[in-house]
Amino acid sequence: MTTLTEHSAAPGPGSSTAAAAAQALNKTYGKGDTAVHALRDVDVRFETGTFTAIMGPSGSGKSTLMHCLAGLDSADSGHIWIGGTEITSLKDAEITRLRRDSVGFVFQSFNLVPTLTAEQNITLPVSLANGKVDAAWLAEITRTLGLEGRLKHRPHELSGGQQQRVAVARALLTRPHVIFGDEPTGNLDSRSGAEVLSLLRRSSREMGQSIIMVTHDPVAASYADRVVLMNDGALVGELNNPTPESVLAALTKLGA
Amino acid sequence: MLQVALAQVRLNARRFIAVGVAVMIAVGFLTATLIINASSKASLTQSVGQSFRNADLVLSAAYDDDAGSWATLDEQTAEVAGSADGVEDTYAVLSSSVAVRDGRGSSYAVLANLPDDVSLLPVDVVKGSLPAATGEVAIDEQTADRRGITIGSVLPVVSSDNLEGDETPLTVTALVEASSDPRSMGATQLYATAATVAPFANLEFGFDSIQLALADNASATAVQTALTQALSDAGIKAVTVRTVEEETTELMAGFTGGQDSLTVILLAFAAVALLVCALVVSNTFSVLVAQRTRELALLRCIGAGRSQIRRSVLVEALLVGIVSSIIGVLAAVGLVGGIVAYLRTLPESGFATLDVPPLAVAAGIAAGVILTVLAALVPARAATAVAPLAALRPADDVRAGTRKGRVRLVSGLVLTAAGAALLGYGASQGDLLVALPGGILSFVGILMCSTLFIPPLVRAVGFLASPLGVPGKLAAVNAVRNPQRTSATSSALLIGVTLVVMMMTGAATARSAFNDTLAGEFPVDVTVSGAIPVESPFTAKDAAAAAAVDHVDQAAFLPVAGLIDRDGEEVPVYSLDPADSQVLQDASMVPEAGTITMPQGTEGEMLTVRGAAGDVELKIVTSESRNFSPLVSTDTARLLGGVPEEQTPEQFRAQPMLWIAVADGLNTPSIMELQTALAEALNIQDYQVTGAAIERAAFEQVIDVLLMVVTGLLGVAVVIALVGVANTLSLSVLERTRESSLLRALGLTKGQLRGMLGLEAVLIAGVAALLGLGLGAVYGWLGAQSALGGFADVTPALPWVQLAGVLAVALVAGLGASLLPARRAARLSPVAGLAAD
Repeated sequence: MTTLTEHSAAPGPGSSTAAAAAQALNKTYGKGDTAVHALRDVDVRFETGTFTAIMGPSGSGKSTLMHCLAGLDSADSGHIWIGGTEITSLKDAEITRLRRDSVGFVFQSFNLVPTLTAEQNITLPVSLANGKVDAAWLAEITRTLGLEGRLKHRPHELSGGQQQRVAVARALLTRPHVIFGDEPTGNLDSRSGAEVLSLLRRSSREMGQSIIMVTHDPVAASYADRVVLMNDGALVGELNNPTPESVLAALTKLGA
Repeated sequence: MLQVALAQVRLNARRFIAVGVAVMIAVGFLTATLIINASSKASLTQSVGQSFRNADLVLSAAYDDDAGSWATLDEQTAEVAGSADGVEDTYAVLSSSVAVRDGRGSSYAVLANLPDDVSLLPVDVVKGSLPAATGEVAIDEQTADRRGITIGSVLPVVSSDNLEGDETPLTVTALVEASSDPRSMGATQLYATAATVAPFANLEFGFDSIQLALADNASATAVQTALTQALSDAGIKAVTVRTVEEETTELMAGFTGGQDSLTVILLAFAAVALLVCALVVSNTFSVLVAQRTRELALLRCIGAGRSQIRRSVLVEALLVGIVSSIIGVLAAVGLVGGIVAYLRTLPESGFATLDVPPLAVAAGIAAGVILTVLAALVPARAATAVAPLAALRPADDVRAGTRKGRVRLVSGLVLTAAGAALLGYGASQGDLLVALPGGILSFVGILMCSTLFIPPLVRAVGFLASPLGVPGKLAAVNAVRNPQRTSATSSALLIGVTLVVMMMTGAATARSAFNDTLAGEFPVDVTVSGAIPVESPFTAKDAAAAAAVDHVDQAAFLPVAGLIDRDGEEVPVYSLDPADSQVLQDASMVPEAGTITMPQGTEGEMLTVRGAAGDVELKIVTSESRNFSPLVSTDTARLLGGVPEEQTPEQFRAQPMLWIAVADGLNTPSIMELQTALAEALNIQDYQVTGAAIERAAFEQVIDVLLMVVTGLLGVAVVIALVGVANTLSLSVLERTRESSLLRALGLTKGQLRGMLGLEAVLIAGVAALLGLGLGAVYGWLGAQSALGGFADVTPALPWVQLAGVLAVALVAGLGASLLPARRAARLSPVAGLAAD
């Protein structure tokens, strides 16, 4: 079942059920003639426990939206909530703290600190917060992700797929409100990519983990519960329960 | 490829700033040294030449080998010179030493005759008119200012040969500028007519010089040749005829001996600065090349040859070298120019002249450029090793090869061992000429194998940072991420710190050795002897009065206990209360009952001391000190009962004296004040107060000043090395942009990031400083042992406070070096960093 509807309703302030939400988000790069509207009045809401993919052609603003939602970048105007906390007015140190406590990241590449072992990389956000690692949870994650034998290795001794799984483990360890993935499978062969995507879907379904992933791969997007489509900095539609075919069709409709 | 190199320098100018600063400082130091040397020579020429600045030719007396004495410039010589063709005026300078009396006593002055033609007078008239009649005199304005002499003042002058003789009153008619000729500087300069000078002068010694002014159309060299011939025809021997320039050069030779050795020493320091700079440059270029691996690989992909890549890197080095060397030279010229301009405003150094020899400029620029290019050779070769394929690989984890040059390591170890053996041998034999090359060799060896021990040491010290959490751990790991780079950065600092600490330890060790020697030579700080003729001999009350003077630690009263006969002379024996033994620097001198303490080397077992109560046989105890009067204890003195009644006239009898210990750490002026204060408190003459304290203080002052100067000079090398630390760190920061961004994204705060980088810099600088402290202390001690071991007992002395200061400076400076790179790293938003590349 594929439906292409108008974009979802704006979340209200204090909407506690949303893992992340944005309201009237605007961001412009450059000035005058060369100005690029990366985000135009974006209203979006990501429900807790769902796995959402943000899709769109290159330059559609999908990465900018994710960076703003994650507090990595600041918007020109508008509001952003992560787990009920509005972050738009927070200071850098507060956002940093929020990031290490409530947000997880899986990037396309360069996910791991090369001087640390896999285990140290996984526990890095907890260590940065001077927190205590939940050993049982860590054991469960590493077992689920098949990393038990690799914990003492350094990143350059791991395969690309293993590196991404370490990044997923790191994101899961803090039980964040939301995990952001920026093309997490972009650098992987299709088998490793499928493995990582299945892991993400399982953690969403079985552990109730909210995940927001930016991708331009329709196959990757089809692992999500919902696909949000962007073009020219604006939300242009969404798909629920996507398949690779329905995503491709929707993208083609965008003229991408 | 030239285009690529130019674009590199233009676009990444910021990355080259630190290299430029390092080269600039080193080149500036070198050039400033050369310019100072040339300028001080020029200033000296200016001042030496002043005495005959208005003449064309100068006749002066030389040593007559045949006669075995110096020639004299007599009247006949002056006549021959004056009658030579082309000579217009003659000024036979006749000067004599006189004394000018004033209220307080008399001061010496040099009275010289005026030339017939005043244009030959080497000084300008400031005020009034030159003396024309007998009994008139001109005086230099500096003395006039100082002594409140004005035109019309009358100076009572006597011949310095007969100070008690009759005064000749001379009336001041003119003030003239003071000559800056170093031979007359500081003395009062008087000028009068020949008739006035004649009664004071002794013509047997001849004229000082005969200065000639030539006719406008006469050629100096022609007159010089003709006159030399005429003198020899007239049978006048050993008189030289020189042009003013020749005469100045000749005189200069007598002055510059010491100055050239100063230049050599300064150049040695400049060489150290250049060496450190080369390390910093080489290191920076290695990092720059490592960062551009992908770019270089891309160039190789599209067809650039290895030699083109190498040339590109070298051209960058050349450009940076040229630009920073020129700036360095300009800075040096500006600096020395400023100093000279300031000196010119001071009356006593108005002759200061700035001389920028083209050679100094050329040498500065050449040294800077050659150094930069040579230092970039190794990194340039590394650049050619980049495979074209590297462009296609992700550059996430570019790990610089940690392949340690085995050849380098082995030769480093061999050098270290050989140098250490040589140094040890030199130190044990007290032979500096053996120890010095040994020290240099072993240090070069240690630097060559620095990759062996610096990274492990940094790692070990890094463990100390672990309690600081993740930033601490990461800092420790990052500090040794590239062992070679860390080693090179630390080595640059290591050189400077080692040399500074070596000087400090050497100075402290030398000081303690000299103190021991001085203590042996002069066992008492200050001795106050009785006045001759005797008015009121000292009593124990005087000791109490002396002890009340500021900075006096203890004062002992030493009455004469008896007399002994040594080599046919009566020598007084003094008694010292053992309770006062603290006044002695040498504990072996304290007398016990039944013994007499004699200077080192006294032979014999027993000695008879004559006292008023009879003779007493005492056992001889020799002390380590050499220079003091024989001592007995108060108990023994009681047995002797004082000086025997003899026929010695009262004024020649030995008198009681006071021995005084002064507080530690006084400088020469305060000890001189203390001596005056003592003389006042005891109501005696200054000359009665003598002792070793002043010598010791003067010696310590010399060491302190030398140490300060040397530390300052070596400080330049340390500053360059710290620029290197900042540079390496900021390049590492650039290299790790993505990693920093990742850490920031994962929740590292800006403060933690800055702290992490600061810690990294502190680790590198701290380990270099620690190693430098250790090495410097050993070198300093062995150096002092080699230099002084021949004639003093050398025990190592560590100046703890100074060493702690060096460590603190290194740590703070290391932290300071991290400020800019850390700020840049923290400013970068996580997104920007992750998006890069």
